[in-house]
Amino acid sequence: MAANSTLLPSQDFREALRRRGGEAASRCYQCATCSGVCELAPDEAPFPRRLMLWAQWGLADRLAADPAVWLCHQCNDCTVHCPRDAKPGDVVQVIRALVIEKLAFPSLLGRLVGAARSSWLLLLGLPIAFWVALLAATGHLAVPAGLPQNWAYEQLVPHLFIYSVFFPVAAWVILAAGVSGWRFWDLLACNGSRQGSFIVSLWPVLGEIATHKRFGICGTAKPRQLGHLTLMWGFVGAAVTSGLLIVGIYLQHLAMPLALSHPYKILGNLSMVLLLIGVALLVGNRLGDAKVAGASNGFDTFFLGVVVLVVLTGTAVELTRLMGDASLGLTLYVVHLGVVTSLFLTFPYSKFAHMLYRTLALVHVRMTGMDAKLS
Amino acid sequence: MTGQQSRPLLVVGAGIAGITSALEAAEAGREVVLVERDASIGGRVLRNHHYFPKLCPPSCGMEINTGRLERNPRVRVVTRARVTGCRERDGGYEVTVTHAPAYVNERCTACGACSGVCPAKVKDAFNLEMAEVPAIRLPHPNAWPKLFVLDRQACPDGCHACKDACTYDAIDLDAEERTETVQAGAVVIATGWDPYPIERLPELGGGLSPDVIANVHMERMAAPAGPTGGKILRPSDQQPPKRVAFVQCAGSRDVNHLAYCSAVCCLASLKQAIYVKEQLPDAEVTIYYIDRRTPGRNEEMLTKVAAMEGVHLIKGKVAKVEPRGRVLALRVEDVESGRIVHAEADLVVLATGMVPSLGAGAGLFGLSSDDDGFGVEKPGVAVAGVAHRPEDVAASVRDATGAAARACIAAGRRA
Repeated sequence: MAANSTLLPSQDFREALRRRGGEAASRCYQCATCSGVCELAPDEAPFPRRLMLWAQWGLADRLAADPAVWLCHQCNDCTVHCPRDAKPGDVVQVIRALVIEKLAFPSLLGRLVGAARSSWLLLLGLPIAFWVALLAATGHLAVPAGLPQNWAYEQLVPHLFIYSVFFPVAAWVILAAGVSGWRFWDLLACNGSRQGSFIVSLWPVLGEIATHKRFGICGTAKPRQLGHLTLMWGFVGAAVTSGLLIVGIYLQHLAMPLALSHPYKILGNLSMVLLLIGVALLVGNRLGDAKVAGASNGFDTFFLGVVVLVVLTGTAVELTRLMGDASLGLTLYVVHLGVVTSLFLTFPYSKFAHMLYRTLALVHVRMTGMDAKLS
Repeated sequence: MTGQQSRPLLVVGAGIAGITSALEAAEAGREVVLVERDASIGGRVLRNHHYFPKLCPPSCGMEINTGRLERNPRVRVVTRARVTGCRERDGGYEVTVTHAPAYVNERCTACGACSGVCPAKVKDAFNLEMAEVPAIRLPHPNAWPKLFVLDRQACPDGCHACKDACTYDAIDLDAEERTETVQAGAVVIATGWDPYPIERLPELGGGLSPDVIANVHMERMAAPAGPTGGKILRPSDQQPPKRVAFVQCAGSRDVNHLAYCSAVCCLASLKQAIYVKEQLPDAEVTIYYIDRRTPGRNEEMLTKVAAMEGVHLIKGKVAKVEPRGRVLALRVEDVESGRIVHAEADLVVLATGMVPSLGAGAGLFGLSSDDDGFGVEKPGVAVAGVAHRPEDVAASVRDATGAAARACIAAGRRA
């Protein structure tokens, strides 16, 4: 299906695939059971058989340009039915990780996060260390004297610090992800000719993502739909709450901390509950049958681990404040700020980037009319 | 020859492999006892309508073998019997053979008077339970020995209609099981195979629709002595199918089912495509395959069938067969075009593989088996036919000849 008919097998890709947990691909004998059982594969361009073949050959360029890599939600119907135990679900998962690495800007960071199995301590530790250093240098690493009964975290770590770190981080992430996204969009163009406007196609895609419609078509891994959906909405809620708080502080001049009954607080806490439920469901799923849940590799576990840490430290930070322990609260808050920084900074290079690539791939298949499943 | 040297070979199972081993050993001068569980010999092969690649009925080859058996005084064929005990003795085996009660004895002339009056019906084992037959009957038209058989447990209480009808005093309803001891110099296990059960393939419609059958059922349907009198019909409505789909590797080469290739299913389906086209020239036949495995001379059969009008060969393993109303919906990726095919069929034939059956070989003779369950020979116990490895009839015959030779050598060495 790729317009490029020249085969450029990459030994490096094959080696990376093997090392990163896709070694079962070599067992594939191209029977096509996987494509036949896949509920998400479009009739005109079914997967994952084709992806398995390309993975065996090491056709990294074709894989990077193929939207099918992202149409796959790892339902694992293929893995369960594969007669050779070649685990197509896991293999495509690793392919996604390698595509993220291939398109990463700058590529050094892609490689660093790609090697999360060994670099995870650095990826998590460095942002935490940065926050410790920043606060130590500015004398904010101790609880100030005369803290009122009803203290807020702003009195421990002024908002200025948050802005001066996260705004530049966000700008950088948008730039890095933007470059990768642009590269990907360009590559996708060799698979089908796009009609109409990006924005017009983006809307229905966002609607589909909002309900996780595709996940719902999954067979084997359908239970993951609820966990993923809950987690996503939890993050959306948390992001909206953060925005509202800026409005609250600077336009409405609300005093922190907000009462538990304040609408912003309710939204924030509701998001927290969703995040906790989502994390519990997804981690529980991971602990189940690996054929159904998919195998865990370092890259994958790193992202899930960071999300779990963000959610757990965030929850603990609020609970500690409610309990009134400012000293413990400050410690947890520093760790929380560190892991959130890590989550943001690794966005373009970790599994988190699926948000970007999958969305673009879904828009692409909609614009090319390949999207037989849901249109 | 000493008494030790003349100890017979014991051959367990009288399918094509066991018969061959017994005959080859006997024709080479050995005494042989051939033990068969069923009432007549011939096993699975005799249930085929035709053999590939010559497409002749196996009863024809079987006649040659029964002729050889009848002419050879060194082979004693014991049907309706099982090996029930064994111990090593003098480098050979002292084997207990248990004979099922001889409700019908050798005075039977196969006249059929008993069948005519029998009130009880049983599932016809020879026809893979696709039909019912009287509890007392000839197992099948080519049965050898030509003796009737009675499923005693199916008899209504106190019924003796068959005994009353028999004018040859060939029926003894009070017959009892008996045992004998055989001193065997060496043993050949030729206990054959069972078809992989299609009920284990629900994703391919197995067990969900009567119109999803296995290749072994197709053989019986095509056979004149089969349940449909040789007509290929859709089981649900007894109508000739217009579209027949063959699903290759159904539960074969599959770690979730049989991990190995049974080596016969590709050719069996090509052969069955010929059955369909000969009977129903307008029918569309599609064979969905992963690989077309037709080694050696069998390649010609592939070329011949592929060239037939209305026969399609599509590369792709069928992933799903779903009953939808009166038709069966298939889903498969056509690998050559890279597209999903949604096909419909009236009859789906699952090309299922052969599961080795070691019977007494595993338990009594202590044979080990390989990862796939095929018997691994040990000194003094040879294995032949599909109990040994997946193979077609011709290969089974060659394998059985080798097994006979190995058993003869083993028996001779110990004498």
